[in-house]
Amino acid sequence: MTEAVSTALPAAGLPAEGPAVKPKIEVSGLNLWYGETQALKNINIEVESNSITALIGPSGCGKSTFLRTLDRMNDLIPGVRTEGRVLYDGMDVFKDIDVIELRKRVGMVFQKPNPFPMSIYDNVAYGPRVHGIRDKKELDRIVEQSLRSAALFDEIKDRLSRPALGLSGGQQQRLCIARVLAVEPDVLLMDEPTSALDPISTAKIESLLAGLKNIYTIIIVTHNMQQAGRVSDRTGFFLHGELVEYGSTKDIFFRPQDPRTENYISGRFG
Amino acid sequence: MKTARNPAARKRSENIAFGIIKALSYSTIAILALIIGFILYRGLRSTSETRSTMLPFCEKEPDGLAIIVNSRASASSMDWQTLNGIFSDEYINWAKIDARPDDLLPAIPATIKAQAALLALGGQNNEWGGLTSVLAGEDDAIRYTADKAGAVAIVSAAAARRAISGGAAIKTVGLRRLGIAANSQVLELVGSGAIRDLSDADIRRLLSGTVHNWKEFDGPDLPVSVLSAPRASALENALAASGYAGQVTQSAVPQSSLAQDTASRGVSSVPRTGTDVQALPASTAGQNSPTAAYLGRINSTPGACGPVFAEDLAGFGAEQTDAGASGDSLPAFLMRSATVRSWNLSLSYLVEPPQLSGRTGGISTIILNTVFMIALTLIIAAPIGIAAAVYLVEYAKQGRLLRALRLGTETLAGIPSIIFGLFGMLFFVGTCHFGFGLLSGCLTLSLMILPTIIRTSEEALKSVPDPLREASLALGATKLTTIRRVVLPAAAPGIATGLILAVGRAVGETAALIFTMGSDYKMAKGLFSSARVLSTHIYLLFAEGISFDKAFSTAAVLLVMVLLFNLLARRLVRHMSRNSGGNN
Repeated sequence: MTEAVSTALPAAGLPAEGPAVKPKIEVSGLNLWYGETQALKNINIEVESNSITALIGPSGCGKSTFLRTLDRMNDLIPGVRTEGRVLYDGMDVFKDIDVIELRKRVGMVFQKPNPFPMSIYDNVAYGPRVHGIRDKKELDRIVEQSLRSAALFDEIKDRLSRPALGLSGGQQQRLCIARVLAVEPDVLLMDEPTSALDPISTAKIESLLAGLKNIYTIIIVTHNMQQAGRVSDRTGFFLHGELVEYGSTKDIFFRPQDPRTENYISGRFG
Repeated sequence: MKTARNPAARKRSENIAFGIIKALSYSTIAILALIIGFILYRGLRSTSETRSTMLPFCEKEPDGLAIIVNSRASASSMDWQTLNGIFSDEYINWAKIDARPDDLLPAIPATIKAQAALLALGGQNNEWGGLTSVLAGEDDAIRYTADKAGAVAIVSAAAARRAISGGAAIKTVGLRRLGIAANSQVLELVGSGAIRDLSDADIRRLLSGTVHNWKEFDGPDLPVSVLSAPRASALENALAASGYAGQVTQSAVPQSSLAQDTASRGVSSVPRTGTDVQALPASTAGQNSPTAAYLGRINSTPGACGPVFAEDLAGFGAEQTDAGASGDSLPAFLMRSATVRSWNLSLSYLVEPPQLSGRTGGISTIILNTVFMIALTLIIAAPIGIAAAVYLVEYAKQGRLLRALRLGTETLAGIPSIIFGLFGMLFFVGTCHFGFGLLSGCLTLSLMILPTIIRTSEEALKSVPDPLREASLALGATKLTTIRRVVLPAAAPGIATGLILAVGRAVGETAALIFTMGSDYKMAKGLFSSARVLSTHIYLLFAEGISFDKAFSTAAVLLVMVLLFNLLARRLVRHMSRNSGGNN
């Protein structure tokens, strides 16, 4: 199911498509255990640059766990054991790249909006500050740009110094996106970013994603199959820790190869 | 199981439960308010019994003499017994008289030695105390008094007036010398009791003749016979001016002897300077004077009583003793007691340093020491406690070691503070050679409040949601940065609350400090200097029996201080949680 990508023409043959040819993220033979329980079973997946990949599947199927492997957030959970290779830009995330650097380049937006209990400005400036940017002008620029990219700036430009917790849920989530964008990653991992939001906020974030695609590689975990259909280029279907099927979103939704995928898509379970 | 009762019954039982809960919680609040109110009231107002044999009638110029003191003295009047004590070496400093630490320096001009002796000692042959300096003249005495803070002298009223209007640094002190003396039988024991202290109303009733038997005052079964003072004498004038005089029925003294008595007492008739005072009659209160006759009648009539000047009674007593009478059979003053309500806590109490173990002065240095103690304790305990909590919550692996640590901190929190005090004394004071001082005390206190700080900080850190930590880590922050910039600020209100609780405990701590911090009430000069704080001050005021009133006013100050501290910290916490590091 991933042959189409991995056997693509060499970069030299198609200069315009060059960056897209080499996968941004390449996972092979990934197994993961929580203690004795195997949560991911032999996952192989390749994610192109500047695309939106949706990961769908029923609760507890391992899609969030998989996502958290990509920026090594699973390291925080005691008793997690991983096997296999996860390459980011050709570098093994477990060996070749410092975890701080990895997380800087691979940003993550969580299921529930989790702004820091600080001002809006400080929330967005947190990442750059942590990475050593002290210059006030530079910070101002980053904050504004990030908030603009997250389509939030115009709504809150007058109250940057107000506590972030005073924003609405949808605004908070966009703030969290802006906060991630401020550290200038090139991959965005989104773990059900709209599950805690109302439809209007969800729509705003979805339209935001379409714009962000031009700059970032986005992987989004979602429960909402319509959302996956609306926003993603490619879709992966997880079930019981396995990546059952991975392909273009159209194929997955309209011509699923695996009967389990079809059952799930057609709403027979999940 | 019984079936559900009907809704009305259920509602009723719920209401009853609600009522009980409400009553309990309201009574808790009421008790709290009662305690705080009582301490504040008791601290602000003092209700004290004054017991004295002297009536509260104050003469500025008794017998034409004036008692002068240095203008720094705060006393404005004194009982005759005090005056007598000053000039007969009973008192050696001002502490018990007007709350100053100065040594007493009584002085007497040789020129009016005899009159002064009559006034202060009750008879001119009595011996002056060894502390009393005999100076040449009244001007010398005035100069001496103006120069020395502890000086007290007796001069003629006119000289005193002249010196004060001339700007000398002296002032006159009034004398209370009028009392009600009674025959010795009146004062005898009746069973296990004796005549009770008389209130002002009792004294008025007694003098107006409406009391007929001493039994009415719990005294012996004797008829009351009130003798009136010799007519037109200084005594009668004083009694009239005191406002206690009622209908005095009979005169005890024949008219003829009055003139002599009046003349002998009037110092104004004696030339002021350069006069040989020794030329006065050998004993003005002698057998022949009306005063002596009057006192003789009180002495000889069972149940008799009457107004008497203290020095006359003393002089009479001395003569009778010389003549072979025993002290028990002599007339003595009835005790007057009155309830005096006054302000206990004044601004001066807050701003003045304490003196004489807190007997006098204020508590300014003690308040400062308390502030130092709070600051130092927080400086020592807060970083350690918060760091320990961070370790326990953020780093330590949950396991046996951690459980042991928790058990340890909880046990420490439950240990009585006196044991911390003993430990502090042995370890910090002794082994570490820090001595009794601020450092030893604060280290001991820190040990004592660490468990509180650790536990509350732990809870505060635990209450920071994990998604915040994840968000920070996902942005590429290190764990330390995450703790420092996200977790700790988010937990700050909770940690601050813990610190306030801990400080509240530290401020109220006595047992741990008595053994470690010392009790010097001067301002602490350094880490090793012994320092007294409010709580130990209260304890020592009680324990050494120095002053109940001052202990309460100190308690009120401590209470207000704790309340203010809590309010301030609460505002700070609210400010912190509202802004949550929002200002940039």
